[in-house]
Amino acid sequence: MTLEFERRTLLQMLGLGVVGGTALGESWPAFAQGKDTVTIGWPSDVPSWDPNQRFAPDAQSIFKLVFDTAIDQGPDLKYIPRLVSKWELAADGLSLALELRDDVVFHNGDKMTAEDFRYTFFERIKAGHAVDTKNSFRKVSDIEIQSPTKVVMKFSEPNATVVQWLGFMGSFVVPKKYMESVGVEKFRDKPVGTGPYKLVEYQLNARIVLERNDAYFGPKPKIKRVVIEIIKDPSARVAAIQSGQVDITTNVPVREVTRLEREPTLAGQMDPMTRVILLQCRNDEGFADQNVRLAAHHAIDKAALSKAFYNGAAVPLAVPATPGTPGYVPDYKFAFDPDKAKAYLAKSGFSPDKPAKIKFASTNGHFPSDYDIARAIVQMWGKVGIAAELETIEYAKYFELNRGGKLPEATLYSWDNGSGDPEIFAGYLLNPKMPFSAWKGMEVGEKVLKLFNTVNYDERIAGYKDLNKFAVEYGATIPLLQSVQTLVRKKGLTFQTYGNGWVLANTMQWS
Amino acid sequence: MMTGVLPLVGRRLVASVFILLIVSFLLFVVLHVLPVDPAAMSVPPNATLAEIEAKRVEMGLDRPLYVQYGIWLGQVAHGDFGTSIHFRRGVLGLVMATLPATIELALLSMIVATVLGLAGGLLLFHTRGTRTEKAIDFGSILLLSTPEFLWALFFILMFGVALPLLPFTGRLDPNMSLPAGTGFLLFDSLYAGRPDIFWSAVRHLIMPSLALGIAFSPTIMRVLRSSFLDVYQEDYIHLARLRGLSERRILLRHALKNAILPTLSLMGVQFGFLFGGTLLVEVIYSYPGLGNLMVDAVRNADLPIIQAVGLAYCVVVLMINTIVDSLYLVLNPKLRLR
Repeated sequence: MTLEFERRTLLQMLGLGVVGGTALGESWPAFAQGKDTVTIGWPSDVPSWDPNQRFAPDAQSIFKLVFDTAIDQGPDLKYIPRLVSKWELAADGLSLALELRDDVVFHNGDKMTAEDFRYTFFERIKAGHAVDTKNSFRKVSDIEIQSPTKVVMKFSEPNATVVQWLGFMGSFVVPKKYMESVGVEKFRDKPVGTGPYKLVEYQLNARIVLERNDAYFGPKPKIKRVVIEIIKDPSARVAAIQSGQVDITTNVPVREVTRLEREPTLAGQMDPMTRVILLQCRNDEGFADQNVRLAAHHAIDKAALSKAFYNGAAVPLAVPATPGTPGYVPDYKFAFDPDKAKAYLAKSGFSPDKPAKIKFASTNGHFPSDYDIARAIVQMWGKVGIAAELETIEYAKYFELNRGGKLPEATLYSWDNGSGDPEIFAGYLLNPKMPFSAWKGMEVGEKVLKLFNTVNYDERIAGYKDLNKFAVEYGATIPLLQSVQTLVRKKGLTFQTYGNGWVLANTMQWS
Repeated sequence: MMTGVLPLVGRRLVASVFILLIVSFLLFVVLHVLPVDPAAMSVPPNATLAEIEAKRVEMGLDRPLYVQYGIWLGQVAHGDFGTSIHFRRGVLGLVMATLPATIELALLSMIVATVLGLAGGLLLFHTRGTRTEKAIDFGSILLLSTPEFLWALFFILMFGVALPLLPFTGRLDPNMSLPAGTGFLLFDSLYAGRPDIFWSAVRHLIMPSLALGIAFSPTIMRVLRSSFLDVYQEDYIHLARLRGLSERRILLRHALKNAILPTLSLMGVQFGFLFGGTLLVEVIYSYPGLGNLMVDAVRNADLPIIQAVGLAYCVVVLMINTIVDSLYLVLNPKLRLR
């Protein structure tokens, strides 16, 4: 056979390769952005451009660029005015008077008025729109419009946390006139908000392009154009920031933050946020015995977990609330004390030679290092006399298993609460009537249900602080760590960090 | 020629209906016995247990499985594939919006796999009995044992980070917009007279299609080599040699025609696997296709999407197999005579 490559042919091919490579290189877009553009590598897309429709914590940072909530939160999570300039909750919790700004204009030029507020938080819910906000505002019996800028929300029963909900997930004001004229479907295709940016392009699961709203009533963003690349794979996000395809990215694996911050052009951040990592406990089976539950808690070295899996940045927690939020109890400690754990177990007749046997579930990949943390806990428990059988579950299975009473004694769980309010920490995590709580015992449940109806803010917060301590000492919950927001950015790009992990492009600027 | 192909397509269409019914039923059963709670995923996070139960009844999840399947099938017959739990949008619209991107990627990957597979097969055969053959053989085993997602990550590190030659997120450069049309970006960009968009789309497709194609090429390579070895035992090859034809002519004009037939069948089967392989590759390259949608749906227990995407995969694989079988019929006159 005479199929031979001649040297000349090879050289020609090589030449073609070089030309092709050069052509690729030349057409490589200029990723070095101008001072008025930023490209963000974000781990998830918005579920829909109807901001009331779905509660998605990761989408809040995107929604907040296009829409505004009635009440906002500052970097320290304090509630501050946004579309609403003043508010006052009645002492009986049955009404909330609000004063709206009169200088807010939607992206289509329509002025925002009390009609839009009423439509968002009352009319569209009553009209049966499929929006998650229907549960947040289920107690709203009417919204009385007193003037184009004054409204009073009326409630069917005391509504202790309505202010918090007006600043929380999904509570973005939408334009009544526009939405009614085009319909919800068309609104989702071409959303109109009041936010600091307008949506100019959207590719599902791929890209969001925003342009500055020069008519914005609030502080004018420094960045004119924001490109959000939806990059779900953590390795791809790391590659994107390292190659310069994006200027900032979040949810980067901890070890990659440590590696990338050594690059001369990049800066890494691990900011504590309002997300708790904890063990959701059952009140029966192997955890029916309080001694076993308390021993399980005393046996866990939370500082070691933080050091091993979060580079020491995750704060060990004693209560199911994060530092800086109202329900946190700064002076309360729950010691890592293996001897105490052994003593508790001995009281119930258990020891390392005759261990208490429990089952333990963890997700694998739902939040950073989840399964590794679970394995470390199993080791720690083994040393004091708790033999845990670890199983992996999908996050989506949690609810079904919990509903069927099939969750094991302990489940490693992560809970995000951007509002910082204790109702959405302990209140939700330990409320036996809600789908999250694995604990069904009413000794804790009754305290939670009572607090849901406590209107007085100070009384409510004090109640939650007591509840947090009680639940921990009772062994109803085992808080572990305050999670961190991992992020890598180009050094020249700065932004305002928020206690709840928001990464807002309207606070970014190039230096 | 078409007289043989048309009845085959007709038979396949009839069979496809039954296959789709069986697949849809299996999918339905498997998805509904999984320990996930679509009702809990459908309601707001602050819903109570009572509200979740009410939702379960509203969604018909409390009814027997065969009743649920019957309702679903009835709706599908009217073109209603349900509403996504996560997106709260019609599932059909979501699938149709993402399917073209995946088909485009899979076809390009198949072209890569075919070119590499055929070239490799020819080279393997050409170098048979030499040390080069052993080296190429070892290389093909290496390719075969490396999954597509590893190739995907390797290419990103190589051509995205170390030698930043190619983009690796999305379908287009950030300064370009998708042209309106069919969703097949390569076609739409040419139709719109936008070579810049076409070129950008091609560059975005290079790495994902290489990652998928390379992983599937060794099988084609090895089957083609085996076919050649068989074909070269046939009398007509000896006869061709006796007629004084060159080896190149015998290989390309005579042997390849027959050796390609088993490879063609294999490629049809391979395309099904390749289409399934787009799932991880799409996620890694942030490529907005069906695979990306499916991965999200699995995370969110979005059963209506999983069901529809599963069926979409099935339809595409059935279509490709029908096309390959028709092609087989066209290329092999012996089958037409029967």
